[in-house]
Amino acid sequence: MFKPRGSVFVFALLSAYALAGEDSPIAQLPAGPMQEKATAACATCHEARIIVQQRLSKAAWTKEMDKMIKWGAELDAPDHDALIDYFSANFGPDQPAYEAPRTAAKAVAKSRPKATH
Amino acid sequence: MSSRREFLKTASVGAVALAAQSVLGEIAKQGVVSVPGKEGLIIRSYRFLDLEMPVEFMADWITPVPHFFVRNHMFEPSEIDAKGWRLAIGGEVQKPLSLTLADLAEIPDRSITNTLECAGNGRSSQNPKVPGIQWGKGAVGNARFSGPSLKSLLEKAGVKDTAKHVVFRGSDRVPGKVPPFIRSIPIEKAMDSDTLVATHMNGVALTPHHGYPARVMTPGWAGAASCKWLTEITVQDKPADGNFMLPGYRMPNQPVKPGETVKPEDTHPVTGLTVKSLIAGPSNEARLKPGAQVVRGVAWAGEAEITRVDISTDGGASWNPARLGKDQAKYAWRLWSYAWKPSRSGDYSILSRATDSQGRVQPDAAVWNPSGYFYNACDQVKVYVQA
Repeated sequence: MFKPRGSVFVFALLSAYALAGEDSPIAQLPAGPMQEKATAACATCHEARIIVQQRLSKAAWTKEMDKMIKWGAELDAPDHDALIDYFSANFGPDQPAYEAPRTAAKAVAKSRPKATH
Repeated sequence: MSSRREFLKTASVGAVALAAQSVLGEIAKQGVVSVPGKEGLIIRSYRFLDLEMPVEFMADWITPVPHFFVRNHMFEPSEIDAKGWRLAIGGEVQKPLSLTLADLAEIPDRSITNTLECAGNGRSSQNPKVPGIQWGKGAVGNARFSGPSLKSLLEKAGVKDTAKHVVFRGSDRVPGKVPPFIRSIPIEKAMDSDTLVATHMNGVALTPHHGYPARVMTPGWAGAASCKWLTEITVQDKPADGNFMLPGYRMPNQPVKPGETVKPEDTHPVTGLTVKSLIAGPSNEARLKPGAQVVRGVAWAGEAEITRVDISTDGGASWNPARLGKDQAKYAWRLWSYAWKPSRSGDYSILSRATDSQGRVQPDAAVWNPSGYFYNACDQVKVYVQA
């Protein structure tokens, strides 16, 4: 089985941010029938931001996906073509460019526990 | 500059927690992502980390570490025990070595000021689009790197006559079945006394994002030749194998049509950087008040020297020379500036074009290639002057 610990870790990380009510630094894939499967296949090794910034043709997406499967992405065979369609539809050459966020201008000081009286 | 003894002292305090901190990160109040030690950079990827410097930061000859871009292919090492760190040197050598940080500190150090640029810088401007981190303009920075020369270490080990290539491997963590980031440089470049095993950047110990405790610094070459978190140096009679030598980090031997597929045997590894300039100010789409303006930026040329930068404020119809900044060093970028007084209100297209000592001139359009390397078209910003 491929990296179950990694998946659990990513899930825990996302949950932690959700509970904290803060923006996650980890980008999300767009809603769609393949969102969950795509996240499971890709996010063990890298966040979705690497996907959402691409603007590729269907042929290029096919090539990238085959490379990633070779590199350990786990995907059921029947989902293969659906995932290519999902990526091509959302991140094709005609989509507007992805707007990347920035890191804080100054490092944010760690919040300290409040003094107790 | 902090002494290397001080560096060792700091390093010996114990294990240094690295990536766990950056993976969890912290969130600033406005929903901005905080990456400790990295200020105001564009996030191309958070996990693993790839950060780009906005062009408006390119005002200093030496890029401060908090503004320096980060290119990681994998996850940073989770923990580095500086005391237990060893650099293994083996392969085609007389005497394989295992060096500690203290051993490195005993070797006379050397400093170079190097403009380090990712081969994929500017990839997002390639048309048709190509896969990879979609860098804008700022996967580049200029810093002073210090440490023993790689040559001094190789001479200590005694390279054999069969030595033709030097392979580097670092301790970054490889996810899944992803091939490890292993690359080599030819022995000639490895034995150039300017190629370093750097332990310091801008006078202080390398930070975790930049390869602490030691990295290769292959000056004038694409960043991929400067392996971070270095742990192994292997001397070979042939180049390294693996994805990041073939098919990764290669350029077509002949120009190809945009969108064309290139066979691996018709390619060669990326090496020295090309000639390039960027406009740091005014910003693209800026609205300027009438009157005197200064157009400013940076220009670099890998192992060559910048000889001139020309500026056009009329979309390329006419060009005038910019003034080059006084700070200069082999492999380092030059700052440049150009005094400009727009004669009318309205739209302007400002272009910059660098020329180097090898006679290379920044082209109007970059040469397309399947991986989007070495994008170096004349830079352009569009501004509006409001009367």
